[in-house]
Amino acid sequence: MQTEATPAQADVSELDLVRRCQAGDTEAFDELVTRYRTRVFSMIYNMVHSEQDAWDLAQDSFLKAWKSIKRFRGRSSFYTWIYRIVMNVTIDWLRKKHVKGAGAEFDDAIELREIDPSSRTVPKTEALPYETMERNEIRGRIEQAIAQLSAEQRAVILMKEIEGMQYHEIAEALGCSIGTVMSRLFYARKKLQNLLRDVYENI
Amino acid sequence: MKTFEEKWTAWVDGQLNGRELSEFEASLPNKAAAEAEKAGALKLGELLKRELSARTLTNEEFFSHQLRENIVRRCDAGAREARSTWWTIPRLLWTGAASLAVFLVFTVVVMHEKNPAEESQYLTQILNARVDPVVSPNASLSIFKVKQDRVTVLWTEGLQSLPADYAAK
Repeated sequence: MQTEATPAQADVSELDLVRRCQAGDTEAFDELVTRYRTRVFSMIYNMVHSEQDAWDLAQDSFLKAWKSIKRFRGRSSFYTWIYRIVMNVTIDWLRKKHVKGAGAEFDDAIELREIDPSSRTVPKTEALPYETMERNEIRGRIEQAIAQLSAEQRAVILMKEIEGMQYHEIAEALGCSIGTVMSRLFYARKKLQNLLRDVYENI
Repeated sequence: MKTFEEKWTAWVDGQLNGRELSEFEASLPNKAAAEAEKAGALKLGELLKRELSARTLTNEEFFSHQLRENIVRRCDAGAREARSTWWTIPRLLWTGAASLAVFLVFTVVVMHEKNPAEESQYLTQILNARVDPVVSPNASLSIFKVKQDRVTVLWTEGLQSLPADYAAK
């Protein structure tokens, strides 16, 4: 089983892999996918809160990356470049979903609430450990809070806090100015602080 | 000129320094409350990182496998599309040329058969066959056709007898 590459490995041959991809080498692209698939999936999941949708959107993002890899000029890192694709795909999807009004975005959370505790879908174990339950609850709270942000605010705060990206990298990935990134970050933090104050203050 | 939101964000992330930092901190109406807010923002960041970084991709190899298949499928579809596009261009040219040819043929035939408006509805044809001038010196033959009614009139004058060879025709 292949594992995710470390950033150091990525730096060494990333450009080489990109050049090979541009020449039509699918194995080189496969290598790049292996390096970034988990981060990309995780980022999308935190935006959409549904494993199935995150999977499909990650597939779609990598497909788009493959189709447009010849246009990659290497001015930014491959990671920033693919994040731009990921963000475009995901934000578009969220906007369409919002327009369609196809119900709440917390598919997983709804499933958890809708499942009958006594049904056979619950694993046949004794009561879940307290810590796991508490953690699930916290995650649920976080996901609900994030869902109240706009797609752009979600993208900004996740890239900053989870991925540790710099303002200019986020701006490049979202195709906006650094000032806009900072402004969105300000409002996203304010909103999340209001919604999650009791969570982070009590841990 | 940075907005308050931009300065605040930079301050929370430790991106302000020197004169900019001191000016911003001096502008805060309640520094203690602002510091508490900043600490809260940092705690929020830690919480998000701890809770949301854990999401991993299960079935990684299947993910890559599915992606490879999608790429191959798209490549095939793209090639087919490209081929069909290239076929379409000559096909369009041929169709255009054929249509033009059919149009021209019909135009020529129809226009040729159509009576000009200024002409009489009777079309007179003088027969090429001439009556023997010795036998019938004043004879003349004419055919009148009324196309609309599909009527043909053979008009003869001064004909004493029809030559045997002409009648045979």
